[in-house]
This record gives sequence, C-alpha cells and structure tokens, in this order.
Amino acid sequence: MISIWLRGLITRRPGALIATVAGVTIAVALLASLGSFLASAQASMTVRAASGVAVDWQVQVAADAKIAAVQSTVKSAPGVTAALPVGFAQTSGLSATTQGTTQNTGSGVVLGIPSNYAATFPGQIRFLTGARDGVLIAQQTASNLHVAPGDVVAIRLTGTKPVTVTVAGVVDLPQANSLFQTVGAPVSAQPTAPPDNVLLVPESVFAKISAAVTPVHPELVSHQLHVARSHALPSDPAVSYVSVTEAAHNLEAKLAGAGRIGDNLGASLDAARGDSSYATVLFLFLGLPGAVLAGILTVAVANSGADRRRREQALLRTRGASPRLVARLATAEALLVGVIGGAIGLGLSAIVGAVVFGSASFGASPLSAILWPVGAFIAGLAIAVLAVVLPAVRDFRSIIVSDARAQISRRRKPLWMTIYLDYLLLAVASIVLVITTQAGYSLVLAPEGVASIQVNYWAFFGPGLLWIGAGLLTWRLSNFALSRAPRALTRFVRPVTGNLAPIAAASMSRQRSLLSRAIVMFALALAFAGSTAIFNSTYQQQAEVDARLTNGADVTVTEPPGSAVPPSAASSIAGVAGVKSVEPLQHRYAYVGSDLQDLFGVRASSIAAATSLQDAYFQQGTAAQLMAKLAAQPDAILVSAETVKDFQLHSGETINLRLQNSVTKKLVAVPFRYVGVANEFPTAPKDSFFIANADYVAKMTGDASVGAFLVNTGGQSTDSVAASLKQKLGTTASVVPIGAARSSVGSSLTSVDLAGLTRVELAFALLLAAAAGGLVFALGLAERRRTFAIASVLGASRRQLRGLVLAEAAAIAVGGAIAGVLLGVVLSQMLVAVLTGVFDPPPTILTVPVGYLLVTAVIALAAIAGAALLSARESRRPAIETLRDI
Amino acid sequence: MSETAALFSAKAAGHTYGADDTAVVAVRDVTCSVMSGSRIALTGPSGSGKSTLLHMMAGLEQATRGSVSWDALGGHPAGRPDQVGVIFQGISLIPSLDAVQNVALPLVIDGMPYEEAQERARDAIGRLGLDALAAKLPDELSGGQSQRIAVARVLAAGPKLILADEPTGQLDRAAGIHVIDVLIETADQLDAALVVSTHDRTIAARFASRWTMHDGALTSMTASNEDPIDRTTE
Repeated sequence: MISIWLRGLITRRPGALIATVAGVTIAVALLASLGSFLASAQASMTVRAASGVAVDWQVQVAADAKIAAVQSTVKSAPGVTAALPVGFAQTSGLSATTQGTTQNTGSGVVLGIPSNYAATFPGQIRFLTGARDGVLIAQQTASNLHVAPGDVVAIRLTGTKPVTVTVAGVVDLPQANSLFQTVGAPVSAQPTAPPDNVLLVPESVFAKISAAVTPVHPELVSHQLHVARSHALPSDPAVSYVSVTEAAHNLEAKLAGAGRIGDNLGASLDAARGDSSYATVLFLFLGLPGAVLAGILTVAVANSGADRRRREQALLRTRGASPRLVARLATAEALLVGVIGGAIGLGLSAIVGAVVFGSASFGASPLSAILWPVGAFIAGLAIAVLAVVLPAVRDFRSIIVSDARAQISRRRKPLWMTIYLDYLLLAVASIVLVITTQAGYSLVLAPEGVASIQVNYWAFFGPGLLWIGAGLLTWRLSNFALSRAPRALTRFVRPVTGNLAPIAAASMSRQRSLLSRAIVMFALALAFAGSTAIFNSTYQQQAEVDARLTNGADVTVTEPPGSAVPPSAASSIAGVAGVKSVEPLQHRYAYVGSDLQDLFGVRASSIAAATSLQDAYFQQGTAAQLMAKLAAQPDAILVSAETVKDFQLHSGETINLRLQNSVTKKLVAVPFRYVGVANEFPTAPKDSFFIANADYVAKMTGDASVGAFLVNTGGQSTDSVAASLKQKLGTTASVVPIGAARSSVGSSLTSVDLAGLTRVELAFALLLAAAAGGLVFALGLAERRRTFAIASVLGASRRQLRGLVLAEAAAIAVGGAIAGVLLGVVLSQMLVAVLTGVFDPPPTILTVPVGYLLVTAVIALAAIAGAALLSARESRRPAIETLRDI
Repeated sequence: MSETAALFSAKAAGHTYGADDTAVVAVRDVTCSVMSGSRIALTGPSGSGKSTLLHMMAGLEQATRGSVSWDALGGHPAGRPDQVGVIFQGISLIPSLDAVQNVALPLVIDGMPYEEAQERARDAIGRLGLDALAAKLPDELSGGQSQRIAVARVLAAGPKLILADEPTGQLDRAAGIHVIDVLIETADQLDAALVVSTHDRTIAARFASRWTMHDGALTSMTASNEDPIDRTTE
C-alpha cells in the first residue's frame, strides 16, 4: 500500500513533492553550509593562532638542572621540532657615550641567543637596521641610549665589572610580553610590562657575562629552552588547545622539576578557542533564522496541498482506512521528502563548502564533522514531519471534510493575539537586549587556562524573541490594515483593479489570514536577508577598520629609529603614482613620572584624511571633536584612560612629560594640557600612549623628525603603491600595505574572512526572499482557481482577473517590504549590540550594503510579480473545465 | 432584431472534447431554438450532453461543428450578464465575498459603479426573500441557500436568458424544490427564458417544454400547453 501511495505521489503530484523537497533541501543545505563554514573558520583560526606565536614553548630550566639534559628531554618530546637554549641575565643598567654625551638607562635584560635563533624563531626578532647577527639592541633601548649600529654600549652588572659590546643592529621584539614572561607564574604575578632595556648578544658574549655574574649573583642569570612545535594541529582551536596543553603537562611531568613550561602556543589557542565559540554563536545567530524560515516555508508549501490531502483522506476514509494507516502513509511521504531533500541539501552544502570555503568537510573536529551533517539531516526530517505528517494526522482526527474546505469564514482571534503575545515577546526581547548590553556582559567567557568555555545562551533570547515577536506583530498589523481600513485598501488597489477595487479590497480583507501569513513570511525573509547583509557588511567594515588601526593607513612608511626624516619628506612620497595624500606622524617616547610611553605627534586638522579615526577610539568626545580640540589648542594632549586613572587627571589640567631635546639630548619637561582620552590610535600600541600636536612637540624639543608617514591611496592599489614606495625609498624605511595587516590582525574573530559565509548566506537569503514572495501564490492557488473560474464565467476579462491577483501581490510586496526593512534594521542593531564582543573595535554606525539590498528587493519583488502573473495565467484555463473540477 | 428572433439557436451544432484518439463527442447535430419567455427542462441521463449544450447556449463552450447564434441577444453573450445568466450545479459563489458582493460582482465586472451594484444586489436578494443571508459568506450558507444567492445574482443582472445546469443536483429534495421555485419566480419577474437541465422528472414536469438528450443528441422536444407556473408547489 505504501509503495503504491508513494508511486502515485511521484507520478501524479510531482510538483507538490518537488516543492516540499526543495524547502527541506534549502534548510538542510543552509545548516550544513554553516557547519562547513564553521569548520573552515575554525581551522583558519587555529592556523592563525599557531602561526602568530613566535616561540611555542619557553621552558624555564631550573637553577640546579643541567641545560643539556633538559634540552635532550625536550627535544625527544612528541611534536617538538626545535629546542634552543636562551640565556637571561639581569643588568643594573646600560650606558653609552655618543656625540660627547653619556646616556644611562635603568635596569634591563641581556639575552644570550644562539646564532640560528632568528632563523628558527622568525617571529621573535624584527630587524630594523644594521646587521642581523652580533649584538642587537632593542629599538626603544637604542633610542634611550642614542646609539646606532657601530656604537659601544657598556653593560653594567651587579657585583662585577661592566662588559662592553659593540652594537651591530637595532631590532624590535614584537612578542616581548611573552618573551619576558615569568614562566609558571599566574597572570597576576606576571610583569606589567616587558623591560625597557634589552640587549641580545651571541652565546659567546653571554657566556662571558654569565661567567662574571653567576659566582656573585647566581639569581641574576637563568636559562630557558625556546621550543618550536609542529603546527599540524586539530582544526578546532579548542581541541588544539587541549592537545597542546596536555603535551606541555606531559613534558613537565617528564622533566620532573628540571623545567617549567611557558605555553605560548596554548595561550594563543586559548584566545582563539574563545573566538571560535564566538564564531559558532555568531553563525547560529545569523544562520538559524534562515533555516527556521526555510522550515516555515516548507510547511507552508506542504499546506498549499491541504485541500488535496483532505480530499484524499476523505477517499481513504470511505474505503475504511484507519488513522494508523493515514499516519503511516503520511510518514512514508515525509520520509521520502526528508531523505531526498536532506541528501540533496547535504550534497549541495558539500559543493558549496568545496567551492566557497575550499573544504567539503562539515566540521573542524571529527565529532562536529559528524554532528553538523547529521543534525542538519535530522532537522530536514523534522521539517518534513512537521509539514506532512502533523497536518495529515490532525485533519484526520479533528475535522470533517466539509469543515476542512471552509478556508474563509469568520474566525475567532487567535489566542496569541488575544493575550498580546507579540507585545509581550518584544518587551522581553528589549529587556534581554538591555541586560546583554550592560557593562560587564560577555557573550563568551573563556577564562584563561581553563579548558571549558561558557557561552551566555541568554543572549540568544534577545534576537530570538525579536524574530517571533516582530513576526507576530507584523501579522497583527497586517490583519488590522486589511480588515479595519477598507477605504484605504480600496484606494491602494484601485490602480490595478479599476472599478473592481471595492470587491478586491473586500476579498482581500476576508483573506487577511492568508495574506497576513504571506506578508509575515515575506517580511521575515527580507529581514533575514537584510540583517545578515547589514551585519556582515558592518563586520567587514570593522575588520577593515581593525586592519587600518593596526597598519595606520592604506600604506604606512615607518622610518628607522634614530633617523631624522623631516615632515617635508611627505611631498616626495606624495609624488608617487596612486598616492592621494600623505600625513606625517611623529613618534617619540615620553616619561610621565617613571613610566615611559609612546607619544605620537599629529597634524590634528588633517590626520583624519589619511586614516580612519573611529569615535570608539576616544572618550570625552568624538574623534572629530577631539581632533578639533587638538587643532585649536597647541599644547593639548590625549592620554590613555589608564594614565588618567593612575595620575588622577582632570580635563584641562596640565601634565608635564619629559621628552628628549634634540640638541642637548637631555630630557626636558614639556607641559601639555589634558583634553581627552585615546584608547586606540592608528599604529599606536595597545597599552598607554599620548597623542599631541606635532608642531608643539617639534617646537618644544627642537626636533620635527617623523616616525612614520600615513599614506592614503583611497583604498586602491595599496600593494602597487607600496612597491613603488619601496623602490623609491630603498631599504631605509619599512613600507607596509594594509593587506599585510589584514592577514595578521591577531587571532581576533575579525581576522576570520566572512566573505565566503556572506556569499552563501546572502544567496540563501535571496532564495528565501524570492521563495517567500512566490510561495504566497501557491498557498491560495486552489482557492484562486475557483475564484478565477467563477469571475470568468461572470464575464471578467483577463485584465480584470490579473488586477485581482496583482492587488494581492502589491499588498504582500508593500506590507512585507515595510515590515521586512524595519525588522531588518532593528535586528541588525540588536545583533551588533548582542555580539559586540565580536567587533574590535566596536562599530560606530551600521554599514548598509545598499547595492545588495536593492538587488534582493528587486529579485524578491520580481518573484512576487512573476508568481502573481503565473497565477493569473490560470485565467487562461477554460473556466468551465475548472468549475467542473471544483 | 425581429420580435420572433430566437435568444439562442443551433443548427446541426456539436461539441467534441479533445482530438484524435482521445476525442469525446459531447453534443452532436443539435438543432434547436430558445425563444423569449420559454420554460424548458433539459433532461437525459448522466453524460448525455446536457451540461455541454447549456454551456454552448451560455457561450461558455464553442460549437466545434455546425453553428450557433444569439440573434435576439445581439451576438455572443460572453461577458454580458444582462443578456445571459448561468446557475451552475456546484457552488459558484466566490468564497471571499459575502452574498451581496457575490450578487453585485457581475454588475461591477460589467462596469457598474460598486455602490449602485450593491443596491441592485440587495434589491435582488430582497425580492427573493433572502435578506437574512445578505451579509453571510458562502462558507456560512447551505447548498440550497448558495444556489438561491446564485439565482439572486442572475436576477440582479436581469438577463433575457437564464440557464441553470442541474441547480438541484447537490441538494436534498426540499431544497431543490425551493431553488426551482425561486428560479421560475425570477424568470417570471424578468420575463426571461429559462432552461434548466435536470435528472429529476418531477422538476422537469413543471416546465412547459421538455427536451431530452441521449448520447449527445437531442432525441425529443415535447411541449405542454399548460402554464408551468401553475404547477408550483408554493
């Protein structure tokens, strides 16, 4: 019986079957594609987190342990590819005499590194100028001592004579924080900042220092093994984190107290797994509504065949079919639809994954690679059951056939409308939004060093309830507009219906339930498309802002330390083809109390033209306001929030900084007036820094030299402009295009390229919007066929019949578009608010992809119009033939 | 147009559904005329071609052979509710319109302003004593009530020829009789010709002329001198 039934469905009702299968396919493909994307995003996060670490492990060798023995144990540990010894010696200070003056620094650290260290750990040392081997001095130390390659530096050692060395090169240590960590100490006991004065010396020099210091102060000399591990890690950062952490624990156990491990790789993966959880949550937020919408559309498609089902059930009943048989037949139909739709959906998502994300895998870990497709497939089956089995069983049990035919009658208000569930849900959504955007709220909590991650699932309620509440409210308002405003409705439809307008309006008013459902579906599809597009654009925009913040501008030219490039050099850079404008940026170091901070001298009136200054970078004013303050007041200065707190500063107060005078080379006190707070600034470090007027700094220090030039190319041809600049400037300056920053903005989630997901989601959104628009007419097709036939035999022309359908199409298009746009904007704002942690820095305003939204609107409206006109073609069918079928 | 011109006339007219192997001849070689004021019952077994012939009279089906004409109506009556009114076997009311709107619909389609059409519709419903049903939706009406509203729709348009295709086919006997009463009353009010197809001999007996069809052909056309109105039961 079941096979006969299924054969009948396939041969006699292929259209309805295909439509239901298509709905299931979309839902399954969307869910599984999310899994594919997540797999690819997580894998890229792991790769990025691992590649961003200069030294994977720092093994602190115990004072009484033998370095060679520890090195041998470490090297034999699984996954270890290299282990090099590094010596650490504390110095009481460095001094150098240049140009007739002697500079002394405070305490510092001398590192003894083997000759192959830089090659083994390329991320640890950035060579700025001079030789790549021999004695290397940190940029800031070189600046403090006014030394350059070739100068002599004396290393003062406690309890013994100083050792003098000749500087061979100047370097930057990008990962100084982890390099100078206290291995094994908790976060609270870690040094607040890396040492100001650092020298890197060859092993032979270090041996000399060690031999002098160890006998008198053995505690001032220590050794570490810097370890490189294989980066063939599991794709999921969380799984990688666990695996690396376990390997570190295992090695520590093997070392039996001879060494403690500073797990830099684990720490980086630790941060990435938090981002990975964000990614999961983010994609659920963005993708789940689409899958649910696809489910609703599928149920609606299946429901469009309700009349057929009821007639068939009536026939089955007359032949004595039991409810059980009806349920079995419906289940067989649901399984057929679910299995075919699920299989096609998985196949489609595998193709999408391979084409868009470069991987047909559904998950980053073996478990998720199984869970995503299985989950998506089960969701597809569930949709099929909801669409096919439930209505069949419900109809069979609860209604008689003649009742079931009554599609339009005076129905009671649904319960949700009576109890104002829509308002209630929107109110709760607002409350959740307020709570989730309070200070201290965090969507994902990944405590450092703890394997488990907490996701604040409450946050899902905000957008979730907003979706449902807004959908119901749209329903209520559509119902209201269709039933309570007949005159307005008549005026609205008159352009397409002519003198039939009152009849069309009355008919639409009676069909308000069907039309409201269509308006809601269309609105939700548009809102899905809109919110996804707006969120993704805002996300991309912020990723770009992040890259610009890191790099400074489209192209940044950084002068080597100690060089005295005047601001006028900007004109030579401006002459390069493709350069729109150039902005010189001073870079100095200034002491506030005993604290040394970076100071950036800017031309406040024009800096914004070369780089993007977001309001989120500043406090006590917008970017524009604070730049205007700086421009208006020469001694104005922006300081970090931390400095404001540490020094109890109040707006307008004077703050004295000590800056080096270019003539005397001595530190001089320069008064500044504190006018605002800068948390971030292009090229500035993440911690404390100052922003002041370049002219004022130059005047007070007698030095107008520029640290960097921010080059604006209008976002175009950054690589070719950078290449031209490199050619022009030679090797003296470092030229970095923004593209380099895009691929290295830490392990933050903004580093994940959403472009692939965006393309997939937007394609699905478009499909759903078009389907929702077109489906509307499939829903009432049987009813419309009858209406057309009757109106036709009563003399209605084709134009009049088309007008009746177009009136409905116009109501759905206009109602759905208004509700969809409003909901899309509100949802985008809520998503951005709830997912604030995803953004770095948080966006000031939403970025609206006008082009995509217009294309979506046009396609969706075309789908409605197309479906309406197809529906109107029904009028070509001989009316009598139709009436005979009714 | 002469006074003796037929509202509808057919000469050797026939209608075939489909073509070639699947062709089904529904009406064959029918020659007949419907004159003004006629009361005709069209009888015959199922599949004999009654409905097709009625639809040909209404202009809803084309004659595939022979010729048909509507001389007294001034040509093909399609889209002219004031010339021919049709009542179908099944429910032919638009579900999303109430009774008044359904009755007004052909008038509005024909270009009459909506308010005027509504007034005419209410008047027609009132003339048939169906005021209580005026605001009801088709799904709230019984089969008999629906057919009477369909008759009111014909009355409102005031056609010269009323065609009813088994109007009692889906009704119980009492409801059927009531519908026929209303139909005859309407035809009388409009002074229109009335052609009703039916299986029911009792109903057929109430009409002055009885045409019988068999296998697509008009096999007999008998007339009675008695006024059919005299045979009403109410």
